[in-house]
Amino acid sequence: MDFLLEGLVQAFHLLLSGQEETYSAVWTTLRVSTGSILTCLILGLPAGFLLGFTDFPGRKLLRTVSDTLLALPTVVVGLTVYAFITRRGPLGEFGLLFTQPAIVIGQTILALPIVVSLTAAALEGLDARLGLTLRTLGADGRQVALTSLREAGFALVAAAATAYGRVISEVGVAMMLGGNIKYHTRTITTAMALETNKGEFALGLALGIVLLLIAFSVNGLLALLKRKA
Amino acid sequence: MPTPPLYQLRRLIHRYGDYTALSVDRLTIESGSIVGVAGPNGSGKSTLLKILAFLETAAEGEFLYRGRPAATGDPTLRRQVTLLLQDPYLLKRSVFENVAYGLRIRGETADLKDRVHRALTRVGLEPRAFAHRRWNALSGGEAQRVALASRLVLRPEVLLLDEPLASVDAASAALITEAALRVRQEWGATLVLVSHDLAWLNAVSDTVWTLFRGRMAGQGAKNVVPGPWQAGPEPGRRFKRLDDGQTLVATNAPAEIDLNAAAVFDPSEATVEAESAEVRDAEPDGEKNLNRLRGLLAQMLYEKSGTVLLYVQVGGLSLACRMEADDLRTRALLPGQPVRLIFPADRFEWM
Repeated sequence: MDFLLEGLVQAFHLLLSGQEETYSAVWTTLRVSTGSILTCLILGLPAGFLLGFTDFPGRKLLRTVSDTLLALPTVVVGLTVYAFITRRGPLGEFGLLFTQPAIVIGQTILALPIVVSLTAAALEGLDARLGLTLRTLGADGRQVALTSLREAGFALVAAAATAYGRVISEVGVAMMLGGNIKYHTRTITTAMALETNKGEFALGLALGIVLLLIAFSVNGLLALLKRKA
Repeated sequence: MPTPPLYQLRRLIHRYGDYTALSVDRLTIESGSIVGVAGPNGSGKSTLLKILAFLETAAEGEFLYRGRPAATGDPTLRRQVTLLLQDPYLLKRSVFENVAYGLRIRGETADLKDRVHRALTRVGLEPRAFAHRRWNALSGGEAQRVALASRLVLRPEVLLLDEPLASVDAASAALITEAALRVRQEWGATLVLVSHDLAWLNAVSDTVWTLFRGRMAGQGAKNVVPGPWQAGPEPGRRFKRLDDGQTLVATNAPAEIDLNAAAVFDPSEATVEAESAEVRDAEPDGEKNLNRLRGLLAQMLYEKSGTVLLYVQVGGLSLACRMEADDLRTRALLPGQPVRLIFPADRFEWM
């Protein structure tokens, strides 16, 4: 059990000592996860809005597909994207493999269904009186849509937080598409996997605690936003 | 050239799938009037309001607004008319933002604070105490008043209220009534009020229409006797056995009307007399076509015309008759008194 306590102490030591390798992994994690979550929100919010707020042929099928993709394994995403961006793949010429943008692509595919499905569910769950009320106050279609999105604000923040949790904690995509290259594509999770394989449990645990601190800070910020909303 | 009525509905039919929710042969609403619409649940009152608010399009018929065919969804028209729903929805914002919403989406943000505060004051909510309250920190009556203020701030030409007093306390009901009625005095708005409460409608409306099963039973209070009926031995004769064992007779049912049809008769066709030993139960010769039903005088409503509506509880039905106020005083009729309700059996209109 000592290694748990040692890990905790080492976590603060790692953060406070300013060790370059640790800060590089933290910085890489923040960069790729921010890139992924922003891309997810830009693509996922409108897609989720269309699925949850409008009706069109094939909507139910798309909704089922999106819900099914919530269970997408990270290694499947990693393998599929790998096949596309490897030198022999159709997108090989862009030289994306083992780069941070490759991780962003993989993590976006991984978390996009979460944003889409939870956004759609949030809008489907809005009070049926909302649309009618807004129209009685003179709102046009665009104003009804925007106000409905705002009314679903709590649930949308929760969708973003859930997707961010998925992105920041995954290891398969970052390992397969990033290659765990030191100072370049090594994230906290890939560093943890490496240190654990090396038998450095305390260091692995310390990195895990750092990851949790980041996740806690992000969720704390989102909770503040929620309260403000 | 005379000004056309505000609304004209002719042979208007609205359906939800195969179900006909509303069928109105003719309805005219004059500008600046207060029109009450009464009727039981499912009679089409809310559907009528949604059509008048340009929120739904009737399947068939003519719908004119200020003499012109009205297109549902027309943003200009829709912003002249506003509807307060029976169970209002407040946005998840402060009271101020709820009331300001309609103005903001119109881009009318000049004097926003003053206008919102005036609207809150109109419905009896002190702006300093309520403007910053959250939507979920209001009682039912306060929420209804905020919803009304959100509409009054828009100074609509037409204010449609769907059961505005259905779930509010007496104090809120009085404030809502006062605020709603003042809009006609102040800017000549037209009001259409839907309610179960016929007493309230009679007190505040210029005219009251009764809807039953999606059809207009007529102007003013109407007695609606729902089916099923039993067919009599003679053509056109129908019987209805009431809960207390009495029988109501109708003699003018058209052949094509089925036994489940509702029959309507005007309270002016009926009268009451105090129950006494001399009153006969049996139909005497020559009065075969007269209903004489034992009942209890339950309620009296004074009408603006100087008449009084008397509601008599008869075998599970509440039937009205209309009397002159002077006549009522002479006969010394009082609520709670056993009476006979008398009306001809051949004056029914069949729906």
